Amino acid sequence: MRELFFYDAMCAAGMPLHGGNVAATPEALLAEMDYYGIDRALVRHVNLDAAGAVLSNRVLADFLRSDSSGRLRGVWCILPEQCDELPGPDEFFRDMKQNRIGAITLSPFAHRWIPCRETIGKIMDAAAERHIPVLLDAFTGKWNELYNFVRMFPRNITFAMDRSKHGPDRLLRPLLENFENFHYVISCHWVPEGIRDLAERYGAHRLLYGSDYPFFSHGSMMLPLKQSALPEADIARIAGGNLNQLLEEAQL
Amino acid sequence: MSIWEEHPLARAFWNNGSAGIPIYDMHGHMGTLNTIYFARAEAAAMVAHLKRIGVKHLTFSHHYALFEPSFRNSRVHEICREFPDILRMYVAINPHYPDHIREDLAQFDAWAPFAVGLKLLPDYHATPACDPKYEYALAFAEERRLPVLCHTWGHSQNNGFPQLMKIVVKYPHITFFIAHCLFGDWEGAARLVHESPGNVYLELTAVPGERDVLENLTAAVGSERLIFGTDLPWFDEYQAVGGVLSAKITENDMRNIFYANVERILGKEW
Ligand SMILES: [Zn+2]
Repeated sequence: MRELFFYDAMCAAGMPLHGGNVAATPEALLAEMDYYGIDRALVRHVNLDAAGAVLSNRVLADFLRSDSSGRLRGVWCILPEQCDELPGPDEFFRDMKQNRIGAITLSPFAHRWIPCRETIGKIMDAAAERHIPVLLDAFTGKWNELYNFVRMFPRNITFAMDRSKHGPDRLLRPLLENFENFHYVISCHWVPEGIRDLAERYGAHRLLYGSDYPFFSHGSMMLPLKQSALPEADIARIAGGNLNQLLEEAQL
Repeated sequence: MSIWEEHPLARAFWNNGSAGIPIYDMHGHMGTLNTIYFARAEAAAMVAHLKRIGVKHLTFSHHYALFEPSFRNSRVHEICREFPDILRMYVAINPHYPDHIREDLAQFDAWAPFAVGLKLLPDYHATPACDPKYEYALAFAEERRLPVLCHTWGHSQNNGFPQLMKIVVKYPHITFFIAHCLFGDWEGAARLVHESPGNVYLELTAVPGERDVLENLTAAVGSERLIFGTDLPWFDEYQAVGGVLSAKITENDMRNIFYANVERILGKEW
């Protein structure tokens, strides 16, 4: 087991608005990760949609400050530039670095704005320059919007996932084929031997292990990856090597 | 230590890909249905996938028998004969073709040992599970004490709690496998078990991997009432097995789910 390093690319924690069994502290999240053998995690704030970007970014920074393990990194949410709610890219990225934030996300459908160049072009271009990953969790199940977004921002390193359980190959493969910076998080890729098919066709470097906790169990996709019949080096990349490398290459 | 190191079953699946236990997958399909992309929906590829993880029997209803009325169950029997060790079939029941139902069930005995029960798909056939159109098939299963796998979903008008409650009480000698455990209506699923005459098992397709659901179902009805299924070729065996292994339930619960309950119902050799 320990030979395989897992880095969870898609995970949310904190206190959920409607209650429920979600890790509210770093200790609780780390205990859950240890139960399944997850080494590190890229964490979003679970209440980001309702609490808004500025408050949830701050709460997530506090959450990470109380973690002494060093195994967690955060994801901050961006907003349109015109309303001056967040600092400009240079200052925002500097704050990210100081607060152990490694990637950005956006929630335009909950936060009442249009995801396009006019609204976030400057920060997305700056993120592309600096190789900062962009999580597209808000686009889960919104394939039309996802296609449009990736077309608008092909230079950005993006991570997307599915949550339908039904094989998304017809929806997913065109994105993997056409956009080299687009990465797929396998959290709900329940297709029989489907991880291997995608890795053989598009390369293991395009796939990332992610749990989609608290929606799914951390353990749900670990065994199908381990038993994917891919070469061990490819399994290791998908489990954690790819994400680790992408985060190291980000210039914050 | 993680579950993959600490728990003997999880460790075996992790290290070896199988654990030397029989797994009975009681909810499968088959057939390259191009309403969605399937890479492995024909018998040979499915059997290869099943053997890797140690599934002893997959009991399935063929997509074509469910969705294309001209494709009859007799052809599914022919497919089973090509893989006699591993494949077992549910006779697919389309309530809109009563002649087909009578003709197919008249051959049920001739399809032994492959035909083990019936499959109902009420939502997709737009007919409530308690509709008289199913009576002939259900009376047949009642008389022979057969298992019936019925598609269900929480709050569905065709295969939700009220429709299922009617038939599980009306046919006490049928062993009902409640496909997807009335997904989302977990309370209804538990009520089906508790308020039926002991003939209800919750079938887990689409549940393993969901957080806390398997734990809560086990607490509510006991693992003796849960059976394993995947919807293969829709879902990967390793995902479903991994989801069961990831649940915070006992090893004995897992063994009940993977094989012990089915062996109590159907025996070890069938
Ligand atoms: Zn099914």
